[in-house]
Amino acid sequence: MFPGVDGFRWTVGHILFLSLFFAVALTILVTVVSAVWRTVRDFRTNRAIELCWKSDFAQLPETERRCRHELAGRVMSRTCDNAFDCRQCSNYSQFAVQSARGIVHDLGLNYSNDRFYHRGHTWVKPEEDGTLTIGPDELAQHLIGSPDSITMPKMGSEIEVNGTAWEMTKNGNEIRVRAPIEGTVVGIGGPKEGWYLKIHPRLDPNDPVTLRHLLRGPEVHFWLSRELERLQLQLRPANTAPSLADGGVLMSGLMDAMPESEWGTVLADTFLET
Amino acid sequence: MASTALADSRWIARGEERTSLRQFLVWLAPWVVVFALGVYAAGLCLYFGLNQTNMDNRFAFGLWIFLDLGVIALGAGAFFTGFLVYILKRAELQPILNTAVVVGFICYSGAVGILMIDVGQPLRAWFTFWHPNTHSMLTEVTFCISCYLLVLCLEYIPILLRNRQLRKLPSFLVFEHQLHKLVPVLAGVGTLLSFFHQGSLGGLYGVLRGRPFAFRQGFLIWPSTFFLFILSAIATGPSFLMLVTATVEKVTGRRLVPPDLFRRLGFISGVLLGIYVAAKSIDTLIWLNFTSPSVGFAPWQYYSYKPFGLPILFAEIVVFGLLPAFLLTYRRSAQRRGLLLSAAALACAGVLLNRFVLTVQTLALPTLAFDEFLHYTPSWQEVASFGGVLGYGVIVYSLSYRYLPLFAQPKGGNTHVSGS
Amino acid sequence: MNARYGMVIDLDRCTGCGSCMVACAAENNVAPLPQASPRTGITPMLVRKVSNGMEGGAQREVFIPIMCMHCEHETPCVSVCPQQAVEVDKATGIVMQMPQRCLGCRYCMTACPYHARYFNWWDPAWPAGMEKSLNPGVAVRMRGVVEKCNMCHARLHSAMAKAAAAGKREIDPADYVPACVEACPTAAIRFGNLADQNDAVSHEAHSPDAFRLLARLDTEPKVYYKSKEAWVRALAESKSGPGSEVKHG
Repeated sequence: MFPGVDGFRWTVGHILFLSLFFAVALTILVTVVSAVWRTVRDFRTNRAIELCWKSDFAQLPETERRCRHELAGRVMSRTCDNAFDCRQCSNYSQFAVQSARGIVHDLGLNYSNDRFYHRGHTWVKPEEDGTLTIGPDELAQHLIGSPDSITMPKMGSEIEVNGTAWEMTKNGNEIRVRAPIEGTVVGIGGPKEGWYLKIHPRLDPNDPVTLRHLLRGPEVHFWLSRELERLQLQLRPANTAPSLADGGVLMSGLMDAMPESEWGTVLADTFLET
Repeated sequence: MASTALADSRWIARGEERTSLRQFLVWLAPWVVVFALGVYAAGLCLYFGLNQTNMDNRFAFGLWIFLDLGVIALGAGAFFTGFLVYILKRAELQPILNTAVVVGFICYSGAVGILMIDVGQPLRAWFTFWHPNTHSMLTEVTFCISCYLLVLCLEYIPILLRNRQLRKLPSFLVFEHQLHKLVPVLAGVGTLLSFFHQGSLGGLYGVLRGRPFAFRQGFLIWPSTFFLFILSAIATGPSFLMLVTATVEKVTGRRLVPPDLFRRLGFISGVLLGIYVAAKSIDTLIWLNFTSPSVGFAPWQYYSYKPFGLPILFAEIVVFGLLPAFLLTYRRSAQRRGLLLSAAALACAGVLLNRFVLTVQTLALPTLAFDEFLHYTPSWQEVASFGGVLGYGVIVYSLSYRYLPLFAQPKGGNTHVSGS
Repeated sequence: MNARYGMVIDLDRCTGCGSCMVACAAENNVAPLPQASPRTGITPMLVRKVSNGMEGGAQREVFIPIMCMHCEHETPCVSVCPQQAVEVDKATGIVMQMPQRCLGCRYCMTACPYHARYFNWWDPAWPAGMEKSLNPGVAVRMRGVVEKCNMCHARLHSAMAKAAAAGKREIDPADYVPACVEACPTAAIRFGNLADQNDAVSHEAHSPDAFRLLARLDTEPKVYYKSKEAWVRALAESKSGPGSEVKHG
């Protein structure tokens, strides 16, 4: 193997063989080291969360990947191919100019026009001092009721869009709530304060692109009514046929009221988990 | 809904249906027994020595070497599919890629495991790396198979990391993403290594000037068996993948790949098999008429011993070569699933017969004028050890099928799906 | 000058007594191995009995001692060993096997057309007391390695040591005699340096009655056989199929 070994003699055969072998071994080594190094670099440059999200998004069922423009009635049918990242979507401008169509139901859920909604069921509210407050939307609150425990990020820590905002547990289920926008945590609230996190956004909140990926206005109606349909199907008792009731409002504390339902799937679809 | 009721549903991808854990364990149980028996038999051989086998000074290679060569030929689908998908960009074979990697991993790790028992002094295995003999085909085999097994492990890791629970660790998921991006490099390296070791396995026999039954002319240092082995391996690799996938579909009761994938694999297999048959026929004619007589061995003497007469040669080239090549490529027969799979089975049997002829028949035949034709029957330890490899393979594949996205299709839309 | 040690075995003189086999086993510390069969035992020197296939008064038999032929040209076992545990010693022409480096892969055994290589299928064991008869000049091999005739290389070492002690550069040929040669009662096995023009063995190897087994394989074996019987000389090349005159033994 090496010239130091007893009786080793260099021949053309040795040169060819060993150079080929070492070239192959080097290629394999470089590949592995490269993958490891790139992984480390992704974590250092905060790209890790984005990559995880893209990968998770691809694992979501197709019904959970409807484009917002389909929900809003702007297009017939479209699956999002960009991990809900409307900020980088090349088709956004052509769809956004059309008006949202659809029937507005009274869903019995509070949502307001001064808030922007993330597909993972959190809202974002721009405050006057340039910060953004974040909290869970009513559908999420109605599902969970009062959580058994909440784990908040530390003050001053960074949260990434589609990464983890906070984590909750309820009835043995672990729920990870996705962050609707990236920024630094400057305030921590809770159920009593009416908001959960106050963040200093990384991007300029006055730039319309910053909040482009969040739903607002009539879009929220259509999205929530789809979500309620999904919940009705998923929470029905086992072995009953699916039915879609008209009217009715969402009761609160569903996880306590219906402990026998398949909460794993419901929570995964609601909070965009795999 | 069904998967959420399973005891281990946390580990199974969402939306995938699997049988109950209990049923799965019932399926695994006999294979675990077979595997355990294999481990015991192997342990006996390692502890007491190779006298536990029926190999002897005349049959220095036996069942294990024959099956090693066979299994490595059948596992060639791994590198060849990778080559077709990543290098030649044949995306229609994508659905079978993960299965190919797992099957390749099983075949090569199993073969290396058996080789460790087959040698008299396993702890000296590193000597080949420290004192390589660049003239020996076996050195080439050792180096290439070791490297290639490493490559297969590296290709298997991303599939493993896509398990539902394992992917929740961000470092695993990001590493999987980065490794997956480099898989084309690994596929290229794997193709190069496989080209050499599949060939060298053939070269093992083609260079034996002391065994004119196996000895062949060649190109530079490589005897014709070098190229014939490569051809037969890439011809039967896709067929073996077809058989594995069809079996999995039968056992699980669901359709896992687009139906015309079978026909495509069959066509590739059939064309390559046809080329192989042509090359082998030419090689056989040269050997019969020139190579063997030139060293004083009249070829008809090889076929004078029952039951290893001329019908074996005929069977190898025509029944298990030309016939499946035709059935796999001719449209009318390829369209019928039953015929297609039978042809694939014939092709795989053909490659096994070829390996058998070269490993076992070569040693049975006399060389000295006063030698006799010898017989050899493997001992139960040899059979059980190899049964252990089969059990190991079924267990690994079953676990991979249950917990990993082997056949996951891109879930609609034009998303980049890492790993489907 | 480099030697090429070889042998000429006169088959007309071999009586099949087997002394050479016993001497070889004793010299090389081959264990008794009562559990071995003819195909798993270790016989670096093996005498084979061959008949001419005729019946009655026309039947003839010959005894052929087979050992490693120490092939000179493209030695089959040397080129195939993956870790260079075999090599042709340039100084003597002897094909040297290193049991310490042998992995036990047995590729060399499939390569050898003379079936001259033997594998240690068992650990060697001697009955109590018999270990006193072991030859201290020859290492015992462990289970799982290949061994074969090495022209009693230990005796060559002794001869070289003796010559060096006497201040000579060349050994005295009389000091280096392999065990089988020494034991043969009819002097059928003759040993010498084929490269030395003055050596009797070198002459005999070129006699018209001399032949080598499977010479057409072109491995240049250094063990020659000699017989005045034509049917014996015909054994040199492979048999022409069943129903021929040659029977096996």
